[in-house]
Amino acid sequence: MKTAAPKLLVDPWLAAVAAALIQTAVLGYMVESRAVILRSGAEVRLKTAPVDPRDLLRGDYVTLGYQIASIPGAIVTGDVPTAPGRQTLWVQLVPAADGLWSASQASFAPLPQQAGSVVARTLPFSYYPGADGALPETLFVSYGIERYYVPDGEGRVLEEARNAQSLEIAARVGSGGTMQIRQIFMNGKPAYQEPLY
Amino acid sequence: MYRGRLERDLNAWAAQGLIDPATAVRLLDEFDRRESAFSLGRVLVVIAALLLGGAVLLLIAANWEAIPRLWRLLGIVGLIWTAYGAAAWLRRRGAWRLSEAALVAGVLFFGGAIALVGQMYHLSGDATQAMLVWFGGAAVTALLFRSQAAATVSGFLAFAVAGVEWSDSFGIDDRLLLWWMPVMALVVIGLVRYTGAAQARHLAYLLMMGWVLILYGEHAAPATALAITGVGAACYLLASLPVSPLRPLAASAGAAPAFYAFLLLVIGLAILHFEIDSAGERLLLGVVTLSAALGGIALSGRDNGAVRYLAYAAFAAETLYLASETLGSILGTSGFFLISGLVVAAVAWLVIRLERRFSVHARTGEVRP
Repeated sequence: MKTAAPKLLVDPWLAAVAAALIQTAVLGYMVESRAVILRSGAEVRLKTAPVDPRDLLRGDYVTLGYQIASIPGAIVTGDVPTAPGRQTLWVQLVPAADGLWSASQASFAPLPQQAGSVVARTLPFSYYPGADGALPETLFVSYGIERYYVPDGEGRVLEEARNAQSLEIAARVGSGGTMQIRQIFMNGKPAYQEPLY
Repeated sequence: MYRGRLERDLNAWAAQGLIDPATAVRLLDEFDRRESAFSLGRVLVVIAALLLGGAVLLLIAANWEAIPRLWRLLGIVGLIWTAYGAAAWLRRRGAWRLSEAALVAGVLFFGGAIALVGQMYHLSGDATQAMLVWFGGAAVTALLFRSQAAATVSGFLAFAVAGVEWSDSFGIDDRLLLWWMPVMALVVIGLVRYTGAAQARHLAYLLMMGWVLILYGEHAAPATALAITGVGAACYLLASLPVSPLRPLAASAGAAPAFYAFLLLVIGLAILHFEIDSAGERLLLGVVTLSAALGGIALSGRDNGAVRYLAYAAFAAETLYLASETLGSILGTSGFFLISGLVVAAVAWLVIRLERRFSVHARTGEVRP
């Protein structure tokens, strides 16, 4: 049984091509915006920290914590917001002798690029100032690199390594400060191949 | 089901000799030919599309190593093109329902592709943005194909966006939810009007109701409740007063605009009941609530069954509330039951009188105000 069709403004074939093209373009943009960071971003190496709760294997990814996710209030420079709200922090990362990077300076305004350091931008987070509008002792932030997707059932190994503090990641930082995981290392060796696409 | 009732009534009328059996069969045939008639086939086709889309989404989660991820991405993009191509071909051939099902599958594939990109690059923390992109894609599909099914999926995705954002931020201090919920509701309303997916209209209205409750949760104060009541009353009057310039527009969307505006008014009044504390305020609020209920019955009782029943319920609840607040403490429990019984009996009498009046008016076909 056929039903009465509403009047169409666009020919179905045109609609199909337009819809598919728009959605393909959106996906292509999403992929390329990440690939460009992997291709040309500055590389930093980070040690992962145990996360609480420790065995948080959420299906098919491992939750990663980082030392640079806790920003001491003491290293924050520049103006500090006085009212609670959504804020973004720019964090300057510098390498140590062992090749691992740590936060040296943070600011609520974009930080200038300096030789030998990399500026990363955090995801927006809920900021609550202290009693007298002062900065809290520690700010807890995230960078969008807190998940690592693994094949079904292989997360446990990585979680144990993470909790034993033998997990490191190499990340690339884009020009806008967006971080992107490039490679994960278990005991210093790459755990998975990570192609550009 | 209306069809079942219709068939029973027609058979009864035929048995009583009111209509001849041949007419009963013809009437039922006519009903079955209508597009809005419930069709198990159509529902099953859409469910099949949902299952197929779900299978693809699950395929992405598993089979990590089996296929290189670039091939998986290209594969799912290919599925998107295939689904929309099939939808176009089926529309051309007039197979409207299958075409709609193909569109539902295409929209789900698009969501799966977004999830796959997130998995490929280990993205975290931006679930709202991903859901918004998915909602946008569904809306584009609904618009281009003038698809009721895709418009309905957009309506559900609007809820998913709000839900994800809500669970991510536990509030609206980032203002994102504050703006996106009404914007998405407007987009869904626009799609509903354009595609004629009348059932999806409720999704947009419910989204707005949820938005109002979130607003109240963020600013729990008598002023907010008053504002909700005032806006609800204003919207209701705009939708149902005969002199309102917006009435024809609201009426073109059926009973929903007046009903949801009235619901907003009732929600505002209900919240106010928790905000007041003095006896004088309670009395004033009681009078306002009862007048609002009677006003709803008087203004749209005849044409809008949904408003009428909500007004009955509000009237009965308020009367019982007032009785319990004023007489309850004096009379004790058994006395209160007596009063409640009398109140319910009085409301029942009122309802029966009104219902009879409305049906008489409907029969005489009096000109609507």
